Amino acid sequence: MADETLQREALSSRGVLQGLAREPLVHFLVIGGLLLGGYALLGQDTAPDDSSTEIVLSVDDLAQLLMIFESKWRRQPTQDEFNLMVEDRIREDILYREALSLGLDKDDTIVRRRMAQKMQFLAEDVAAQQEPTTDQLRSWFAEHTDLFTVPQRISFRHLYFSPDSRGSSARDDSEMALAELEDAPLDTASAESLADPFMFQDYYGDRALQAIAGEFGPEFAQAVSRLEPGSWQGPVKSGFGWHLVYVDNVIAGRVPAFEEIEQEVKTAWLGIQKADAWREAYDDMRAKYTVLLPVPAEADTAAVPAESRPPEALAPDREAPL
Amino acid sequence: MRNNRNARLAKALLLGAAAFSLTGFWQTAALAQEPADRKAFFGEQHIHTSWSVDAWLFGNHLTGPDDALKYAQGATIKHPLGYDIKIEQPLDWMGVTDHSEYVGITKQANTPGSAVSKMPEAQPLILKNPNDPADVAKVFAYLVSLVSKPPIKAFMSPQVAGTIWKENVKIADENNKPGTFTAFCSYEFTSQYNFRNLHRNVYFRDCAKVADQPFSSMDSWHPEDLWKWMDAQRKAGNELLAISHNANLSDGWMYPIDVDSLGRPIDAAWAASRDRNERLIEMKQIKGQSETHPLLSPNDEFANYEISSFLIGLPADSGQIPAIVGSYARQALKDGLTMQDTRGYNPYRFGFVGGSDSHNTGAPYRQNNFYGGHGINDGTIETRMAGHIFTGSDVRWESPAGLSVVWAEENTRASIWDAMYRKETYATSGVRIKLRFFGGWDYESDILDGQDWVKAAYARGATMGADLPPASRQAKAPSFVLWAVKDPTAANLDRIQIVKGWTKDGQSFEKVYDVVWAGDRKPNAASGEVPPIRSTVDLEKATYSDTVGAVELKTVWTDPDFNPSLHAFYYARVLEIPTPRWSTIQARQLGIEPPGVVPATQQERAWSSPIWYTPTAEAREAATPGLTVAELTQNEAAPLDENALKTLVVGKAIWVRNNVTGEVMKIRYDEDGSAAILHVGRDALLPSLTGDVVQASYQTTASRYEIRDGKIVTHISGTPISMAVYKSTASQGGNVAREQETYYGARSNEFGYANYEILLKGPADLVELPKSDDIADKDQSKYLHTPEKE
Repeated sequence: MADETLQREALSSRGVLQGLAREPLVHFLVIGGLLLGGYALLGQDTAPDDSSTEIVLSVDDLAQLLMIFESKWRRQPTQDEFNLMVEDRIREDILYREALSLGLDKDDTIVRRRMAQKMQFLAEDVAAQQEPTTDQLRSWFAEHTDLFTVPQRISFRHLYFSPDSRGSSARDDSEMALAELEDAPLDTASAESLADPFMFQDYYGDRALQAIAGEFGPEFAQAVSRLEPGSWQGPVKSGFGWHLVYVDNVIAGRVPAFEEIEQEVKTAWLGIQKADAWREAYDDMRAKYTVLLPVPAEADTAAVPAESRPPEALAPDREAPL
Repeated sequence: MRNNRNARLAKALLLGAAAFSLTGFWQTAALAQEPADRKAFFGEQHIHTSWSVDAWLFGNHLTGPDDALKYAQGATIKHPLGYDIKIEQPLDWMGVTDHSEYVGITKQANTPGSAVSKMPEAQPLILKNPNDPADVAKVFAYLVSLVSKPPIKAFMSPQVAGTIWKENVKIADENNKPGTFTAFCSYEFTSQYNFRNLHRNVYFRDCAKVADQPFSSMDSWHPEDLWKWMDAQRKAGNELLAISHNANLSDGWMYPIDVDSLGRPIDAAWAASRDRNERLIEMKQIKGQSETHPLLSPNDEFANYEISSFLIGLPADSGQIPAIVGSYARQALKDGLTMQDTRGYNPYRFGFVGGSDSHNTGAPYRQNNFYGGHGINDGTIETRMAGHIFTGSDVRWESPAGLSVVWAEENTRASIWDAMYRKETYATSGVRIKLRFFGGWDYESDILDGQDWVKAAYARGATMGADLPPASRQAKAPSFVLWAVKDPTAANLDRIQIVKGWTKDGQSFEKVYDVVWAGDRKPNAASGEVPPIRSTVDLEKATYSDTVGAVELKTVWTDPDFNPSLHAFYYARVLEIPTPRWSTIQARQLGIEPPGVVPATQQERAWSSPIWYTPTAEAREAATPGLTVAELTQNEAAPLDENALKTLVVGKAIWVRNNVTGEVMKIRYDEDGSAAILHVGRDALLPSLTGDVVQASYQTTASRYEIRDGKIVTHISGTPISMAVYKSTASQGGNVAREQETYYGARSNEFGYANYEILLKGPADLVELPKSDDIADKDQSKYLHTPEKE
């Protein structure tokens, strides 16, 4: 944005000069320029040329200031607020230029980082514009099914033996109940009469282990994942007490069909294309450069095998440009 | 002037109405599902990453918002010191709340060669040795002072701030998975005027409708300006709400009752603006809890919990002591009721959530996983247990992070945000207690036995964060349905309590009721309190066992002291059985004694958002009116001047009756500025801000007073409370005119009421015994030599 400002100033500076000739500020600047010129004759620093000491704000620039204010406050600024904004904008311009003239942009990390980031965005954008065909996605998916595996899911019924009502005999009671239920079919009505009401659900359908762990605690989830389906088993301990568990069925972890998750595959594919494009672009650029690194003093390198030393080390001042 | 004010008010009302109708619309949209189907979603609403200026100073250079959101979903990330940290159990939602002030500046100041690093303003920000806590503390103090001073323009490049905010929004979008995990667009407004914590987290409802740039304390440190900006955002379609935090560190500035932060009198427009924007408060986080303080709640035996009272960044040699009054939520809820009753508006109708405020990108929620929240300052067991002091805080005061729980239809931004807006939320100290809380007028005592009790409870009453529905004619008192289930990975439950607050004649009161508890403990016959549960904590091993306590607690409780003419609020508090505090666990790991500066054990807990009761105008008028200063002066009563006041009290003992409660007490004022209050029993009904007067009375402990500006001035931990005394001979407040003059005292915190009558003659006996025949002297000996052993 600042670059654009500079260009605009360069283009319009002549036209505005005449209008400014009557301004006291300009008189001040002219006198200042003369003084600086005088210094220059005396062998001092040369004064910057006129265009770099002119700040021209167009109607568009001012409109933009207004817009920023309005987007923040949802109203027009008052005159005072507007004056302040203009003055802030001028200060920013001045400081930017002064910083440029001092060469502060040269090794400024923010500037460097931002420009480097822009390079990355550019490379990634090129990749993002590439629209994959369904076939392309399908074959890529076939090679990367591990990224899309759906975890194992378990459906189970359970009977709860509460330490609130049974105290320390909750476990024994659940074992006795298990003996009664052995070889019995999954008959909820009679089974429920043996146990205590549970505060959440008696039946959990199609739950991933993480969801079971969230409800009952991780130990219970692990234990249930090891049970054989088709009979009452236990007792299994949870954070709430003891349970008998009847696993209905276990849906093994599976890879969904491509059609089910085409959009997801596309997102993943694009992500990888971006990363690849960036890496390749960078590798190309990196290949053009030679890097010099500092090396330790002779005494310290004695133990380092010769072949592992950087070939073009700048040994004398132990400093190197990167 | 008047017109201007009216216009402001009208505008505020319009905005309020707009906000109301919008919410109404969302609620109907969400109501496609039954409220009874709402689920408890556990989340983190307050976390910082290396993008926050101070986090960078604490050594967090590695991880950003994306890492925070990944940590919330269960991924292992790096602590700033480089070791692995992992959450105990993944969360359902999170909002990353990096400070909006000077985003990225510290990072740049510490990058050699950067423009910022060469600016004179940045010099105090440059660490000499980033691993030296003393250096870090110095820079941190400077930063805090920056935030409280006029902004340094050179640091405020909109390009920098704006870009980072946009990046933040993008990262939230990438991590947001409707139905599975919600990532909010949020940030922290870090107002830190003169070391007072006035911080707010700002939450947008929809990441597609956010501000171009966050409003920060560099724009203005006044919360009032933040609300103004929020109103403008809302008007533009960017719906948002704010959550204040660390009222406990606000030096009394979080909950003012008389003037706002701009020094203007608080009015209805101010209250409406606060209520419209600040829907929630953060009850507990790493830097302590903001529910209440033992001095404010002397009858609450569980108030002495995770107290943290300091001023962030205060210079180490400063003598400033943070105020307790104005720094806690329960008192604000009570003051809110009184403001409603005496002035017609209530700015303090907020709900509760929790948070971490960790600056490590991830946060610990459990005592057995405590790795601090401030990078190098508390990142090793040695720094923690050595009682390292930074920014005025002793690391041992820190506590694991709190959690926010919302009852919402589904795990999406809209659904969770709407639940936050309607305050259907509760806070926990970090554990995953499940808590439901309903209030209504005709709940049957066996409602909890029904299969569909949740549905019935919603249908016939209000849930946490809402108002009780209008009372049915036959109902005498409201009933509350309470249900809590323990965290399956944490300790059993001890009890559920209801905290009630109410107001009368400018005074406010609180009472904590034990409503359901584990085991067969009997409430104390005198106090009604359920005795403490047996502690199973083994201090040497730093362990506990679930051999006491309950898995599930539930009950229906009816308020036994209900007065339909008085404003009231009720909130539920669930307590776990005692467990070892993190400092006890880590002391054992180091083989040292548990530190004496903090309790060795603690009770994890959950707090529901309140349910409010508002009397009908009819019921309110039925109450006997109190006496106001305005009425006194209208009836030609005159305030005593300094000399008259000195003559009345200095070197004297006077009897004073609180005309609201009927309590009578004696106060001695000596010649040297000490006063002692006598005869206050532990069953006395005491108004707010009287301190622990019961203990002081029993032990005859004196405190300082002075006569200044015609008032008797006393202090509650440094906060002056004054009493003006008026002399009257006319008939006052329903009393008949006296032949001799009567004196009425008006305390400065009682909203214009003169509730204290100075009795020229005290009672000879303080207790009126039940009427019966006198016992003859000769029978007196019958009452002696009573066996006292069973």
